[in-house]
Amino acid sequence: MSFIPGIPVPIGAIEKELGKLWEESGDTKTRASLINLAIYNEKPGSLERNTEIIRGIAGEHAMRAILVQSDPMAEGSSAEAWITMHCYLRGSQGGSVCSEQVSFELSGMAARSLQSVVFSHLDSDLPLCLWWQADFRPPIDGKLWRWVDRLLFDSRHWKNPKDQFDLIRQIAGLAEARTVLCDLNWARSLPVRQALASIFDAPGTLPELEFLGKLEIDHAPGSRTTALLLAGWLADRLGWSLSKPTANPEFCDRNGRTVSVDLNETEGASISRMQLSSGNAEFHLHRESGSDLYVTTATGTDIPTTSRMVRAPREETREILLAELSRGGRHPLYTKAVRAVEGLWT
Amino acid sequence: MPSPTSNPLREGIANRLSPEPCTLVIFGATGDLTHRKLIPALYNLAAEGALPPALTIIGFARREKTSEQFRKELEESTRKFSRTPLNEELWAQFASSIIYHQSPFDQAEGYTAFARQMEEADRQRGTGGNRLYYLAVAPDQFPVILGHLRESGLSTATPGSWARVIVEKPFGKDLKSAQLLNTLVSEVFPECDTYRIDHYLGKETAQNIMVMRFANSIFESLWDSNHISHVQITAVEPLGVEGRAGYYDTSGAMRDMIQNHLLQLLTLTAMEPPTSLSADAIRDEKVKVLRSLRPLRGDDVFKHVVRAQYTAGLINGQPVPGYREADGVPKDSTTETYVALQVNIDNWRWAGVPFFIRTAKRMPKGGTEIAITFKSVPRVLFNQTGEGLDENVLVIRIQPDEGVSLRMSAKMPGSSLRIEPVKMDFHYGTSFGKATPEAYERLLLDAMSGDATLFARRDEVEEAWAFVDGIEEAWKTRSDDLAFHTAGSWGPAEAADLAARHGVTWRRM
Repeated sequence: MSFIPGIPVPIGAIEKELGKLWEESGDTKTRASLINLAIYNEKPGSLERNTEIIRGIAGEHAMRAILVQSDPMAEGSSAEAWITMHCYLRGSQGGSVCSEQVSFELSGMAARSLQSVVFSHLDSDLPLCLWWQADFRPPIDGKLWRWVDRLLFDSRHWKNPKDQFDLIRQIAGLAEARTVLCDLNWARSLPVRQALASIFDAPGTLPELEFLGKLEIDHAPGSRTTALLLAGWLADRLGWSLSKPTANPEFCDRNGRTVSVDLNETEGASISRMQLSSGNAEFHLHRESGSDLYVTTATGTDIPTTSRMVRAPREETREILLAELSRGGRHPLYTKAVRAVEGLWT
Repeated sequence: MPSPTSNPLREGIANRLSPEPCTLVIFGATGDLTHRKLIPALYNLAAEGALPPALTIIGFARREKTSEQFRKELEESTRKFSRTPLNEELWAQFASSIIYHQSPFDQAEGYTAFARQMEEADRQRGTGGNRLYYLAVAPDQFPVILGHLRESGLSTATPGSWARVIVEKPFGKDLKSAQLLNTLVSEVFPECDTYRIDHYLGKETAQNIMVMRFANSIFESLWDSNHISHVQITAVEPLGVEGRAGYYDTSGAMRDMIQNHLLQLLTLTAMEPPTSLSADAIRDEKVKVLRSLRPLRGDDVFKHVVRAQYTAGLINGQPVPGYREADGVPKDSTTETYVALQVNIDNWRWAGVPFFIRTAKRMPKGGTEIAITFKSVPRVLFNQTGEGLDENVLVIRIQPDEGVSLRMSAKMPGSSLRIEPVKMDFHYGTSFGKATPEAYERLLLDAMSGDATLFARRDEVEEAWAFVDGIEEAWKTRSDDLAFHTAGSWGPAEAADLAARHGVTWRRM
């Protein structure tokens, strides 16, 4: 492995070595932590990528980061660990604030004992956010998931969303609803949902929601699940039920009218355009390629034409993760949105 | 089915009321407040998509200029004062909602034309007849502006819409003038539509006082006279009057800081838990604290209050002139630039706990904090020696370096038993790296949403003035109590004596 994620330490001496690291750093460094963020990945090279992400967010969301690169299918058993700190200058006094990172490379038996190897190094009394960057696999290990306060994952990367969502539901059930499900794909759609919702704050627009007959979503290659989650969100919010589960599906609204949905793959932002049409009005959200703005417009016969611009966040994983960690809370609408388009997950 | 008033797409997106489409009218739009605070705050809200979808901002002021000139000036100041960088595209769209209306405040015709402008904006932008008037002018302009708003019918909301007014401090200069001002405002706007702004209440840390007290059982269970020895509330700054001499010399530290900001912090510190988080439930509890303040009148004032003025000295090694040498200050001014007072809250929770309040200019450094000092442990075990142990002190830092710290005792490592104070420190900036919104962002959004929680209610303002008036009246009877301290020092000896009478020393900031 060419990337070295810190100082190598024996697993049994991680806390002691972290203590030494602090002692050596002198009085100018302050340790800060709001959460334990554990990231689990089974692909080679993940420690380097995830260290980059942690370096990017630790300055804004102090944490103890625990990175795991695991190969549970390997023969035998091996476990290696490294420690490091990410420090940022703060204030005029010249001091810096630091977050700790513990990295593990596990294979074989050690990889299958995640709980004992990794979770014994949590910063006690702080919540555990586990970002699972691998596929979920049955059987679900109840002992593992009950430790987790927030389970982060990104449904955009799933090759088999249907099975994955089923497993996610099992995990949420196992943990007696204590674990908060945080799909970064759902977090990715938040700025779009905010911008879209704000269109309907304008006078006269709200009644049009009852008469929507067509929804178009342009999404980037690989972002079809993001688009489906948005469709699911609208369906749940507006009381639509799925009537035709095809590639370009149809819903039935509360009054029995058909709402057609067009999902178009196009280059650009993960969601670059949405258009909602009722008989009398059109509602449009657009993000130009490379732009950091959403432009929304509402036009129609009975509503004043309005147009707004709002900042669109960068779509880097770092930004999305940071937004999700800062926002906190539960996501009750997420499960409803997933359910509303259940027949469309393949 | 979506109700006609609630946007079903908003659920789960934000946990606050949505601001409603409106026209925001800023009286005194060419002033410092508009340029430094209001427009930068509105721009940042626009950039975040937090403003209502339809918003017109009308700057109402006396100076001759076009809307285009006005927007250009605002662009420059926003570039300078905004907490986020100016994005040209965003600014262009935001600025398109800004209009300048030139008129003297006392000309009826100006308001007629202004009314037409607002109606036009309603038609074009869909602002729905909702009006938010921001009086960013000196209080002597209030009567004429409010009078014209009433006479022109602009203060009355049309059915299904609202008309609100935001009033900037100072809310009067004593109880009588505050009552007059409040009566004047109330003749034009009902209390529920009157928003008295105190920007201290918009600060994150001020809002966190309630969270810290009522969301943490370890603090609230100790928050009374059984466990707390005394409380110090301090707001000091190294600056002098900095061009505000005309206002400051007629106001002084008592009216400028104590009557509003510091008494607000006192109420948040001492209030009982409200029955809910509604604006009135919280303000009811705050008013009860003000009503429980033991009045200071006559000779009591000179026992419990110290006023002082700074003389020439050094700040950060640089010589600074004394208060009386500042431009615009009379050479024989007796206006206080330093106030220290000890107050008592006569209620069950706080009986016997002295509260010390201090504000000053030209201190060695600046800062605002609330320090809660807990009672000492009994003089047994570790507290038997003559020296005693340091008390636990919980400090809530409002600004700068917002955060909370707790001083406690710990054993020094070694074979002997030596106990030393150690500090547990929480810094907002350390744990939450992201920039916090400016107080005005929160307050403007709240006013557009109809949430008055962070605004002062009439009775709060008047109770605070009633308390302060007693002190001001006593001060009028003599001036020989005015003490002096060198700029760059921590205040006069008299203030140290005041604290010492209660066995207390003022905290070093």
